[in-house]
Amino acid sequence: MFGQVSIIKPGLSGCFYTECGHKLTYCIRGKMGAMLKTRFEWTVLLLLAALLGGAWVVISREPPAGPDYVVLAEAPLVGHIAPDFMLATADNQSHSLSSYRGQPVVLNFWATWCAPCRLEMPHLQAASEQFNGRVAFLGINDGETASLVTDFASELELTYPLLLDNGRTVSTLYEIRSLPTTLFINSDGTVAEVIIGTVNQAVLEDRLEKLLEVEG
Amino acid sequence: MLPALNIGGLVLPTAPLTFILGAWLALSLVERAAARVYSTHAERVYHLATIGLVAGIIGARLVFVSSHWSAYQENWLGIIWPINTGFHVWSGLAIGVAAAFFYGRFQQLDPAITLDALAPGLIIGLMAISLADFLAGPGFGTLSNLPWAISIFGLRRHPVQIYELLIGLAALALWWRSSQQPSFTGQIFLTTISLYSGGRLLVDAFRDNAPLTAGGYHIIQIISLTVLLTSLFLISQNVTAGHETRSRSGSTEH
Repeated sequence: MFGQVSIIKPGLSGCFYTECGHKLTYCIRGKMGAMLKTRFEWTVLLLLAALLGGAWVVISREPPAGPDYVVLAEAPLVGHIAPDFMLATADNQSHSLSSYRGQPVVLNFWATWCAPCRLEMPHLQAASEQFNGRVAFLGINDGETASLVTDFASELELTYPLLLDNGRTVSTLYEIRSLPTTLFINSDGTVAEVIIGTVNQAVLEDRLEKLLEVEG
Repeated sequence: MLPALNIGGLVLPTAPLTFILGAWLALSLVERAAARVYSTHAERVYHLATIGLVAGIIGARLVFVSSHWSAYQENWLGIIWPINTGFHVWSGLAIGVAAAFFYGRFQQLDPAITLDALAPGLIIGLMAISLADFLAGPGFGTLSNLPWAISIFGLRRHPVQIYELLIGLAALALWWRSSQQPSFTGQIFLTTISLYSGGRLLVDAFRDNAPLTAGGYHIIQIISLTVLLTSLFLISQNVTAGHETRSRSGSTEH
């Protein structure tokens, strides 16, 4: 495949002119050829590359994962520990993220005025029913009133907890820049994925099956 | 770092934006490279790259849709919207490569020269992945106290994706240099990917959440080492064969 050229004219200068296209001429006089000429030299180079590369792979090997091996900070970033919070629903039931430790969590930031949120929330409701008991779903409303959230939940028949983020403290903590934003959190509390924009039933199924697969 | 751009109330996720810009830049570079190394078939090489890219994206989406068909059968609009998530990446890659391969065969393009022309596009594509990962992705480096370490929520870490981008730039510089006077067909591609894979082999050690084998080895490093050794082997075969041919020809002339 490589280097199959038709030699037209072996030139006195040491160049072989080939014709693979109109203007194409390839010349066997490159610096690479000047540096390493014999098979022996190349074999030494290859062995050296294999040895050094192999040694680097071994040196870079990570020891069996322990609980303290990877230093993690609390951050709304993939691979980091999702920041803990405590918020209440419209009927005054408190929920903290840490209380869900041990099961995957879907954290959905939304608002009633957000049209894409309205579009995706029935999918979240369906997924919360499908994965009931295996995955926790929490909706975090973007600083709206309890009555507005209650009316919206009734209209769309949403039953998973919709938490009121008065003062947008949790939105700020999670650096939410646009709605909807959805975080998938592993059962150990680390962030698995952040999706900015609408999710649908298929994406939810896909991600949640993967989360549960990791849990074994 | 910067998962979304807010432009006058319009929120643009940076990762898809980076991929779109990367694809555009990659195709532009392939077009120029093809004009340079494969002038008679430059347009066909550009078409091959475009077909591979488009087939890959559509294929990745269709495989995802088919694997979650129950969620789409009553929501056909969902197949095309929202498009920000829901791709089967590995299937898309396989479909894209297969489409490009068969188009190349159909157009009777020389594989080695075609790869020479595609090399900068490939590097730009890989750089776009690194940049998207830096802006909005899951990757982060190991802890570091070096002056250029970046602070991620209070912890200073190696900017591993920046290292990857620098390797990409070095590979592009080598591509530019080797395309001035290549020794054999395929050399531009092989030297470019050998430098890039060698670099990735080196810097992946500084990635904290790298995909690992069961034994704790970095998968990217193993792939990089394999690509590096394979490309060096192919270069060696062509260079030594060239020298032997030249020696024989020199003897004949004398």
